[in-house]
Amino acid sequence: MIEITIYGRGGRGGVTLAKLIAAAYFLRGKYVQAFGRYGAERAGAPVQAFVRVDDEEITEHYPVREPDYVIVLDAGLIAAEAAEGMDPGGFIVLNSPLPPDAFESVFPGRNVATTDATAIAVSNRLGTKALPIVNTALLGAAGEILGLSLADVEAALAHLGLGEPNLKAARTAYGSVRQARLPGIIAPVAPGRPPARTASIFDEDIGGPPKVHTGSWASRLPASASLTPLCSDACPAGNDVRGFVQALVQRDYEAALKTILLTSPFPGTCGRVCPAPCMQACARGDYDDAVNNRELERYVADRAPWPEPTRPTRRERLAVIGSGPAGLSAAYQLARLGYPVTVFEAGDELGGLLRTGIPAYRLPRKVIDREIAFILAHGVEVRCGQRVTRSRLVEMRREYDGVIVATGLQEQRTMDLGAGDHRVLQALDFLDLSRSRPPDLREQRVVIAGGGNTAIDAARVALRLGAQDALVLYRRTRAEMPAIAEEIEEALAEGVRIEQLAAPLRLEGDGEESALICRRMTLGKPDKSGRPRPVPVDGDDGLAEFRCDTVLLALGEAPDGRLLPAGAVLDEEELLPGAEDAPACTAGDLVTPEGTVAAAIGGGRRAAWRLHAALGGVETPSSPAPLIDASALTFRDVPRVAMAKGRLRPARSRAASFLEVRQGLRDRRGRQTAYEEAQRCFSCGACTGCGDCVVYCPEGILTHVGDTECTVDEDYCKGCGLCAAQCPRSALAMLPT
Amino acid sequence: MTRAVVTGNQAAGHALVAAGEANRAARGCGGGGYPITPQTEIIENVMAARFSKGNFTAVESEHSAMAVCIGTSLAGARSFTASSSNGLLYMTENVFAAGLARLPIVMAVANRTVGPPWNIWADHGDSLALRDAPWLQLYCDSHQDLVDTILLAFRVAEDPRVLLPVMVTEDGFLLSHTSMVVDLPPQDLVDAYLPPLDLALRMRADHPRTYGQIMSPRETQRHREEIQAAMERVPEVLEEAGAEFAHVFGRRPRGAFEAEHTADADTVLIAAGTTVSTLRRVVEERRSAGEKIGFVQLKLFRPFLRDELAQAIGAARRVAVLDRDHSSGSGGIMWNEIATSLRERPDVLLQGYIVGLGGGEVDPPLIDLVLDDFAGRERSQAPIFFPRLVT
Repeated sequence: MIEITIYGRGGRGGVTLAKLIAAAYFLRGKYVQAFGRYGAERAGAPVQAFVRVDDEEITEHYPVREPDYVIVLDAGLIAAEAAEGMDPGGFIVLNSPLPPDAFESVFPGRNVATTDATAIAVSNRLGTKALPIVNTALLGAAGEILGLSLADVEAALAHLGLGEPNLKAARTAYGSVRQARLPGIIAPVAPGRPPARTASIFDEDIGGPPKVHTGSWASRLPASASLTPLCSDACPAGNDVRGFVQALVQRDYEAALKTILLTSPFPGTCGRVCPAPCMQACARGDYDDAVNNRELERYVADRAPWPEPTRPTRRERLAVIGSGPAGLSAAYQLARLGYPVTVFEAGDELGGLLRTGIPAYRLPRKVIDREIAFILAHGVEVRCGQRVTRSRLVEMRREYDGVIVATGLQEQRTMDLGAGDHRVLQALDFLDLSRSRPPDLREQRVVIAGGGNTAIDAARVALRLGAQDALVLYRRTRAEMPAIAEEIEEALAEGVRIEQLAAPLRLEGDGEESALICRRMTLGKPDKSGRPRPVPVDGDDGLAEFRCDTVLLALGEAPDGRLLPAGAVLDEEELLPGAEDAPACTAGDLVTPEGTVAAAIGGGRRAAWRLHAALGGVETPSSPAPLIDASALTFRDVPRVAMAKGRLRPARSRAASFLEVRQGLRDRRGRQTAYEEAQRCFSCGACTGCGDCVVYCPEGILTHVGDTECTVDEDYCKGCGLCAAQCPRSALAMLPT
Repeated sequence: MTRAVVTGNQAAGHALVAAGEANRAARGCGGGGYPITPQTEIIENVMAARFSKGNFTAVESEHSAMAVCIGTSLAGARSFTASSSNGLLYMTENVFAAGLARLPIVMAVANRTVGPPWNIWADHGDSLALRDAPWLQLYCDSHQDLVDTILLAFRVAEDPRVLLPVMVTEDGFLLSHTSMVVDLPPQDLVDAYLPPLDLALRMRADHPRTYGQIMSPRETQRHREEIQAAMERVPEVLEEAGAEFAHVFGRRPRGAFEAEHTADADTVLIAAGTTVSTLRRVVEERRSAGEKIGFVQLKLFRPFLRDELAQAIGAARRVAVLDRDHSSGSGGIMWNEIATSLRERPDVLLQGYIVGLGGGEVDPPLIDLVLDDFAGRERSQAPIFFPRLVT
């Protein structure tokens, strides 16, 4: 008979290891027995499991006393007692990164084998959310020592329904066991101690505080995890989305606004026009609906008191070229770092596309004015009507101590539609024109080519200016349109029409006969962007004709780097060439043409920090915490609640009006208020003080400190990991002691 | 047969599920389930099973679990459940009700001592506390014994000569949580062994009647007399069921008692549950050293077959009972029953020992201590607890 004793911790797989070893022998036709000795201390307590293997039926129903093999799963359990009663020819298998001879003083004269099962388990991501589980790696090691074949080990795993990555862990350990017969003499079995007195329930000290300092069992202890949530990770502006929403949950509107203002001076703008990648990433999206972060951001910007701006404290004078969101974001961050900043703008007004490209019914002027005024209040100076050329940039790098170039996308993509080009206009020019000298489009049929927000905006503005028809032509289908989905819905509600799978070819005819000839498309295989590629339909079937008086092109824009010095690389990480001059770098769409306000804000902020570093600044932006693993979140017991949507001005009253369409979330009355929407935020990766960990702790030694911190009594935390495993938002981790 | 390595709980679950499935051609199977250590895995296996015809209900207590069993059994289904320890005690009212209603329910019990103070390990005090209920009680000593006995239990319980519920027990952890090699019977053989259940007294919409109505004193007496008569018919039914079992499955299940080496023994040990397998080792060793010693496995505790037990010990003059239980103020429960069996054997020195309470280890050194103590005794005394504690 082979007898094996396994030393492990409650709930960590020791009994399963016994079952695996038994299965390996059972599959070789042996009689087997596997069982555990279950303790009263539950998870984490020292426990033993036993295996017996024999050619005949096994009838023993008591623990193994004289094992042929001993396996120790936890470094904290390696002690001389483990080998007591063991045959001198037996083997001790230890989970340890150390070589066998490191245990010479513990197991003199014994055969010892070691394997770093913990490292193998961690590298194979084996275990619970909280703790690595080492048993399958040790199965490989023990299998080698027991003389089982690797096939036996694999068969045992399969027999218990365990596949990868357990197989890999066992295979890794099987080939890598270190073994040695340690020098020294096996200590004689200590004379049996006289039996100890057995306690009575009438004893004075029965039922008192536990005497075992179970903290000595722990190899890992719980600690606040503070992980980056999916929303914040997705935010191109770098906003702490969870942070500001959770401040709303605390009804601390001021803190919510300050949280956003750390990274973005445009909460009112983004709260209206951002495509909100944070909402697409939101972990709640798959459960019920994403949290409506965009409307919450708008709510904060519109309702919270804005803080006092800081004033310049440094003497280095800096220049920013371009007053779009990237340039203003850079100027804002530099001003907050204490620099006096001057912004150069070619046009008459600050704001770039925020002002010229986004219609007022989506982004009211007063919102832009308020946010730009806040930036300027930090001591930022402005020079409008100053177009910066390449030579002027060279001069500026001598006048100023540092320069950021954020000129955005100046090149508008176009196409030749043949005769009648006087009827063709760039949609962005049309949008800009509509602010100051709106064209009269009454009785006109307007066709807009493109699928982005500019196309949708141009169509909606065309209707507002009296057009009898606004038709958006898009090469792919509505599902692939880059425009914000809600904007498309609002546009359709206002009467905009969308023609899918059509690309403009040429304009034909004149006056009443004027028409746009288009090429029909179908969807092909995905392209680099992952969207299906539009494929032209050949032949006469492939042509379509749309009556039109005006064509607006919204085909996208491209950066124009002509003012940059020769040899400039459009790379966020690079300073512009010219080491003898003041440091200069690029920011926003010019270098990272994402085309969204949020991306421009993020680019401007990063450029500001880069310039600050180039100027010898010692402060650095805080680096984000590790990204959360969404699969570790558990929404159990969370009621499913639909997203609160912002109110809309009715479609009929917005037909000709440039008043803002969106009215935001409700404030006080009604069910779907901003506060209630904020409460839907699950606070992924950050403690909310929900107290589940305190309830689940089997020792009762986790306590709350304040609302969002908990503390653990290390004398009694046995490192079971239940708190971290159950934490619904992954805000606790088990870290090695 | 499917040879497998399973825990006692998995083995019991397999047998219960197979028995339930075997009634698919009739009224199916059903019952209520509620978890308690160490039986939980049994009821988990039952609840997870997909029966062709049957439905198990997760309820809020053991009391309700047995109530559902009573209901489904009255409806004609093959009904079963499992419990342990304090759960069994909480179930007690309905345990009696099921027996008094003559319903052939089978309950697997993973024996665990009763608390508080809490202890999750094995002794037989929980099921033995229900010894006066109208239930058969069978104590198993191995995984195979458990599987076979559960199937046997349905056959006996459902026999029209018996119509009483049966408890089949395994020692908590020692069997329930220990993985061992066992032959699990395939469904077609279980189908052959357990014919479709047709309960004469089952509820029928076309024949309304009241169950558990008021009874007069004489009716009550007759009711108990009928139960006693049914209990007395158990030996012959058990014998037949065992023979049929051997015919179907090709192995003979253990009977009411299993006596070994008693024919020439001076000394006989009596025990139930896994203690028996340890006794077997010690007895074999001592016999090879020349001792005239034998042992009896007490398998069927209710009904208690007094005369048969007296016969089983043969001519032995020294009998030691190893109870894994304690009846307060009396001693070992099995010792008590055996003492009445041996009332006509004044020549026998009968000594009770109480071992393995709350999961205390019953291993060969402990049996040796008991036998050493017994060897020196000239007269019996009140039951002795082993091992001796330092107090």
